[in-house]
Amino acid sequence: MKTKLGRSILVLLGALAIGGVARNAHACGGAWVPYLEDNQVDYRVGGVARAEKAFTQGKINASAASVIRMMPAVRHMNAKKSKLVARAQRMLALAVARSDGALPIGRGIPVYIRGSWLGKSAKDRKANLAWAVKVLATIDKTKKHSPAAQTDLAEAMARVDADKAQARRILEKLAKKDLVATPEGYAALASLRAQSGDKSGGRLAMKRCKAMAGHPAACRIDAKS
Amino acid sequence: MQRAWHKLGLLCWTVAIALVAIACTGRSDPPRKAAPATSAKPAPGATKTPVDTLPAAVLASLQKAGDATRGRKLVQKFECNRCHDGTGLGAARLEMNCVHCHQKILAGTYKKAPASAVRKWKKHVAIMQVVPSLGSAGKRLKREWIARFLLSPHDLRPGLAPTMPRLAIQPAQARDIATYLTRGGKRAPALSLDSADAKRGRALMEQKACGTCHRFSGAPALNVSPAPGSELASRAIALAPDLRWVRDRYAPAALVAWLENPKLMKPDTLMPTFGLDKAEARDIAAYLLEAKLVLTAQKAVPKRLPLLARRVTFEEVDQRVFSRTCHHCHGNPDVALGDGGPGNTGGFGFFPRGLDLSSYRGVSGGLLDIHGERHSIFAPTKDGTPRLVAALLARQREEAGHVDADLRGMPLGLPALSSADIQIVASWVAQGRPR
Repeated sequence: MKTKLGRSILVLLGALAIGGVARNAHACGGAWVPYLEDNQVDYRVGGVARAEKAFTQGKINASAASVIRMMPAVRHMNAKKSKLVARAQRMLALAVARSDGALPIGRGIPVYIRGSWLGKSAKDRKANLAWAVKVLATIDKTKKHSPAAQTDLAEAMARVDADKAQARRILEKLAKKDLVATPEGYAALASLRAQSGDKSGGRLAMKRCKAMAGHPAACRIDAKS
Repeated sequence: MQRAWHKLGLLCWTVAIALVAIACTGRSDPPRKAAPATSAKPAPGATKTPVDTLPAAVLASLQKAGDATRGRKLVQKFECNRCHDGTGLGAARLEMNCVHCHQKILAGTYKKAPASAVRKWKKHVAIMQVVPSLGSAGKRLKREWIARFLLSPHDLRPGLAPTMPRLAIQPAQARDIATYLTRGGKRAPALSLDSADAKRGRALMEQKACGTCHRFSGAPALNVSPAPGSELASRAIALAPDLRWVRDRYAPAALVAWLENPKLMKPDTLMPTFGLDKAEARDIAAYLLEAKLVLTAQKAVPKRLPLLARRVTFEEVDQRVFSRTCHHCHGNPDVALGDGGPGNTGGFGFFPRGLDLSSYRGVSGGLLDIHGERHSIFAPTKDGTPRLVAALLARQREEAGHVDADLRGMPLGLPALSSADIQIVASWVAQGRPR
């Protein structure tokens, strides 16, 4: 009986501790943005910037792992409330899309925050891709459908069967005005054109991807896409 | 007893759940700071401005007075107070005020960024440290000249970079702004300088060492005395206009009054009061207004360099051009302090162009036209030159006095890029813009 009471007291102490931590947090579940006093530093600002630099250098998975380590609850954060969260989620969402929902970052993040990011089951991979599309759609809306946001969204949609037609529409519209913002966007367009039987169109988009890409991996067309 | 233990346990659990619930949902957010967020006949002897390409009908229209109330609103719209003091609006807040911000960075008193960032910025804020105040313009300057200058800004002060931007101002708007800026000033009474001695005026200028601060291009060079090494003297030299433009800017009576006691007309001027009497002031005025000027050699348009055969990547273009020159006005509001700059989210009377030159994605994403349509900045212009390159070349031509009415030179209000830098950009575009 005393053990039961001891456990209850422990739970009470735990709850008190959570209350203490959460006092400095913006909210649970939504945008977890810690409130900082004037003399405090939010190290995630530099962290996200470094992750973005790594991302542009082609270290996609490393930057995705870094985002998960910095923001373990990133999946549930609200990008509308924080530009920093939006930037972090964008990188992660693109990494998820480019890995077809299975981030190859097993060693990059501790086991207890891995969640379903590794996409071990088809269900997890599908959920991850759906999350990526949702996040990029939110950013696209916030950014008033800027070509950069549209390209990211279409790239992710090109990985989801149900969204492929829409992805093609977006990319064709951008390509017509030379506004596809990334080589990966052209790679996705090449893939979508090839899948619909437009082989010469696919080759043209791939040529554009190769001209824009800094590293050949950017133009890799996954068999699944 | 057992029931009592059980009740105590239940109470603990209930309190624990309530505490977690309060922590997660019930707390109000602490107040958060807002994100931290420049053909009327010209007057006798007037010099033709090298970049004055204004049609005669426009010049004629500038002779008429405009509407000062509208002018004030336009000064607000074009955000003249982001660079100039003395607009009658009060200075723009620090994040929006080019000059005050640069001054604070240079003085090391800018507190809204880490010291390391301020140290880094110091190297890039050489320009826009001093800008002329617009105060008391009505007492000194010709209204028509202000309107002309707004429509066709040119290099007026040899000691300063020509940073007055070519704004999107219509002639009627320029007239209204000029009328507002010269409000309260009376038209200078006609004054004949026929009896004045221009030769003596020249001698007086030599005696007073006017050439220490001023250049008088087109006239025989004035003698120069060693300038005191103070910060004030440096500012005075930077702000001193080329005297070539005096005849365009001043009416004779206003010029004489200015020479007699400049501080009476503009209390914050750095022009010294030399204690000239009326006759001396008239003699100097006669020389300034009547001296025969030789046409100064027009700046040549730099020669364009051929495309490079070697590979040029975005990283090189970014380091050489975009991050050094363009980011400040075409930034990313998500990353940089402030609002993304006038070239992205709008400012200086320009509507938001949505152009972000701070990343490859942004550069590739193009800009908005006045109808809200997106276009690539690499789209070919009439002669096939990519638009970005055409804008950079246009700025070189603007500096040489050739203004293209349909194409605003970039960087706006900053010195033109060198031909070598433009070569890098053009080569990168021609190579398919590799990332």
